[in-house]
Amino acid sequence: MGIRTVAAAAASLALVVSMAACSSGKGSAGGKVSLSYGVWDATQVPAMQKIITAFEAQNPDISVTVQQTPWADYWTKLQAAATGGAAPDVFWMNGPNFQLYASNNVIKPLTDLHQDTSVYPASLVKLYQYQGVQYGLPKDFDTVGLWYNKALFDAAGVAYPTGAWTWADFQAAAKKLTDPAKGVYGVGATLEGQENFYDTIFQAGGYVVSPDGKKSGYADPNTIAGLKFWTDLIAAKASPSLKQMTDTAPLNMFESGKLAMFWGGSWDAKAFATNDGTKTGISVAPLPTGAKKATVIHGLANVVSAHTAHTAQAEKFVQFLGSQQAAQIEADTGTVIPAYNGTQQEWVKAYPQYQLNVFLDQLPDAVPLPVSRDTAAWNTLEANLLTKAWDGSEPVGTVAAELATQMNAALAKEGS
Amino acid sequence: MRRRWGSVGAHTFLIAASIAMAGPFLWELLTSFKSLTESTRIPPTWLPHQWHAANYHSVFGTVPFTDMAVNSVINTLARTAAQLLFCSMAAFAFARLRFPGRGALFAVFLSILLVPSQLLIIPQYQIMQNLHLLNTRTALFLPGMFSAFGTFLLRQFFLALPTELEEAARLDGAGPLRIYWSVMLPLARPGLIALGILTTIWSWNDLLWPLVVNTDPHKMPLSAGLASLQGQFMTDYPVLMAGSLMATVPVIAAFVILQRRVIEGIALTGTKG
Amino acid sequence: MTLAGAKASALAPAPAGRAARVSRKRRRSEAPWAAFFLAPTALGLAVFYLWPVVQTFYYSFTTWGPFGGHTFSGLSNYRQLAHDPELRSAFVNTAWYCLLGLAGVPVALVLAAVLARPGRRGVGFYRAVLFLPVVTMPVAVAVVWRWLYAGDFGLINTLLAKVGIHGPYWISDPHTALIAVAAVGMWSSVGYTMVILMAGLQSIPRQYYEAAQIDGAGPVRQFFALTLPLLSPSLFFVTVLSVIGTLQTFDLVYVLIGQTNPALPQTQSVVYLFYQEAFVNNNRGYAAAIAFLLLAVTVALTGLQFRLQKRWVHYA
Repeated sequence: MGIRTVAAAAASLALVVSMAACSSGKGSAGGKVSLSYGVWDATQVPAMQKIITAFEAQNPDISVTVQQTPWADYWTKLQAAATGGAAPDVFWMNGPNFQLYASNNVIKPLTDLHQDTSVYPASLVKLYQYQGVQYGLPKDFDTVGLWYNKALFDAAGVAYPTGAWTWADFQAAAKKLTDPAKGVYGVGATLEGQENFYDTIFQAGGYVVSPDGKKSGYADPNTIAGLKFWTDLIAAKASPSLKQMTDTAPLNMFESGKLAMFWGGSWDAKAFATNDGTKTGISVAPLPTGAKKATVIHGLANVVSAHTAHTAQAEKFVQFLGSQQAAQIEADTGTVIPAYNGTQQEWVKAYPQYQLNVFLDQLPDAVPLPVSRDTAAWNTLEANLLTKAWDGSEPVGTVAAELATQMNAALAKEGS
Repeated sequence: MRRRWGSVGAHTFLIAASIAMAGPFLWELLTSFKSLTESTRIPPTWLPHQWHAANYHSVFGTVPFTDMAVNSVINTLARTAAQLLFCSMAAFAFARLRFPGRGALFAVFLSILLVPSQLLIIPQYQIMQNLHLLNTRTALFLPGMFSAFGTFLLRQFFLALPTELEEAARLDGAGPLRIYWSVMLPLARPGLIALGILTTIWSWNDLLWPLVVNTDPHKMPLSAGLASLQGQFMTDYPVLMAGSLMATVPVIAAFVILQRRVIEGIALTGTKG
Repeated sequence: MTLAGAKASALAPAPAGRAARVSRKRRRSEAPWAAFFLAPTALGLAVFYLWPVVQTFYYSFTTWGPFGGHTFSGLSNYRQLAHDPELRSAFVNTAWYCLLGLAGVPVALVLAAVLARPGRRGVGFYRAVLFLPVVTMPVAVAVVWRWLYAGDFGLINTLLAKVGIHGPYWISDPHTALIAVAAVGMWSSVGYTMVILMAGLQSIPRQYYEAAQIDGAGPVRQFFALTLPLLSPSLFFVTVLSVIGTLQTFDLVYVLIGQTNPALPQTQSVVYLFYQEAFVNNNRGYAAAIAFLLLAVTVALTGLQFRLQKRWVHYA
């Protein structure tokens, strides 16, 4: 037995090593170039596959595989992979991370493409320029809306939200919709900028980072009012506590009928449409109005890794991803609002039950997602410090003041 | 009479402990068949109202589960096979061969034992990068093929073996290779099994190294895949229960079948040292 | 955990070597064979373990850019190390994991004692059930326990509510999170400790107890005068193992707590902080310094345990 164990071990070792060696061959097999495409949203993968099928039909010598990494780990893994020269050939980029990647030459300038960028919204095109050079082609854009559960509104006898709602209307409704005995809350005060506190900061007339990218807005009283909007809801128990939201994410609470309202992006539409709990019985309204109307707008881009072994093919793929044909697929499948001008209305039609035009109607009031050269540095500060305000251990004003100081220090470092 | 009551008490205690140990697995199984809405009902339901297989579909639909399972199997087989072979060879040299510098080399091996290998992942990662092995299956098992611990464990076994058979083989003109292969290995069977069990469990469950070295989901083992599933589904526990169950069932099944042998093997590592 | 345990076993005294009646000739003739047998492991360990120790030491004096590339920065990482409150609390948390982990040893001892009693029925079944968590992947264990611990919908609080207790949000409440994590660690390792201790108990000859009984020693006296001393080598083994294992706590914090948990500062372990710095914040130089510090602590603690063992461990 002993000898057989080791003999079997030796044999299977040889087998396994050879199997692994075969499988680790990367790049071109049989004259065909294979590209990897890094994305984070699993809900979008079917649409991405469809686009890839269309691309491969036109380019029989190229094949593309999707590498999906959940949002929670996407940037960590991407940065590690890029550091090791193992990033996907083409991948999704967002505004907060763009300048870091471009300034460190981790992604390639797309100057050789000579792409006509007038087909995309100008603000998105500019978001992906670094020192005047285009590094990414816009893929989609998104705004934030107020998703709500009709049954919970009906049960509490509250009228559905409308574009005329003020902050006061919203807060009153949230309190009325809360039913602790059933574990139901009015809204979830997720500790999240884009979908929650950035929107209210802008609605209150505050700002996160000054237009020149040098100064934090967290010392501004209006900004603090935008934060207080959420901490007040938690204090009034119209939102679950931070501890509860750690146990059960607000998105999951909304999906299981425990939250009456949920501030979410246009990208949530597809996931909601496929989830049993939200397939029907929910809809979306514009965000309530504070000192003014506002919603955060942001958009993704496709970029090419600087370390790709197949630049020409990768660029070709990025160009296709930015084409009208690809945009049409994104819209028809109801996946996201495509960046390509003129295709957006198709997306609205994909889910007639949700009144998705709300997301496009808010465009005139949309404020871009705040970014700077190293956004991640102060995003981490926000997450760490605001926790203290969200769990009620320190007053919002104190936390915001400290956040402003630390964020200013981080911004000062960027310049150097 | 007192003895009888003592026995009842002992069994009550043991049953309580067993429930504490097995209960979580049962709850995991039941939750994996509930819908998200049902799982958040207050008060909770014990058995699923409607047995709901969709959670299992969700797991397959979002992570390349089959690839991950294959990666886990390859990783586990390669590490275990390599350690059984390489460690037994090195252990044989330390236990039975005379060569200059044996004591010093042994001391070096001993010192490696003191270093938690988790703390070495930065340079190990750099090595994989330089070998262009990031995001490959090979990267998963390469460093884990070598083990100072395995060498030690088997050396202890070899040292405890009687020398008579070996001397007889030597008189018959057998060289070290024959002695290692035909005399020592068959005798060291319990030690090899113990090492095999430990390495299997450890390789299957390892998280930090695969988390760092393979970022492509198609190249991840189940442990890293499960962590990534949590990143995906956040707190959608029914889906997470389905994923955890599928990731652990192979090892649990193997354990149930080989239960006696596994426990004896583990016990051996404690008494043998 | 298992690997760490094995380390401890390897460090225990080896059986006395055979009388070396080997001629110088044999020593020389066997050297090439030794090289052959040792080559794979020696090379592998040198490349993947020894050299990385040297490299880690070197990296601890460097500063890394966001996408790799490092520059020598002298002692700056160590200076930062001295004033990092996060690191200090990570060490305190890890010390708690160590202590609470050791609390599992008496639990395992009681289980082992009850099971090892001669004539006990169903030993095989109980032993297998109690051992089940040991073979289960820690990531899966953590995911399942996260669900059990859930404040509003979790099984634990549901059961507590039945007896009128309103349970806390176990893993997001800074007051309970560390204990909750440590309890899962104990849950998944107690079976292992129990199996080792059972083997130790069963190797104590039964005649000793019979003799003690004749001398009029009661069960308590028997336990302290007989069982404990004779079991001390096994107890030493499981303690060393537990300390090395809990010093490396990572998986449980990574999955059970996670990055966005408000209780993270009260629960993060040194290895978790090391991972964060190395692969999330990309401060690999600083991470290397943390690694080196933990390395020194591990070596010191293991050394201390071996020093103390002379006072309480009796080798027959």
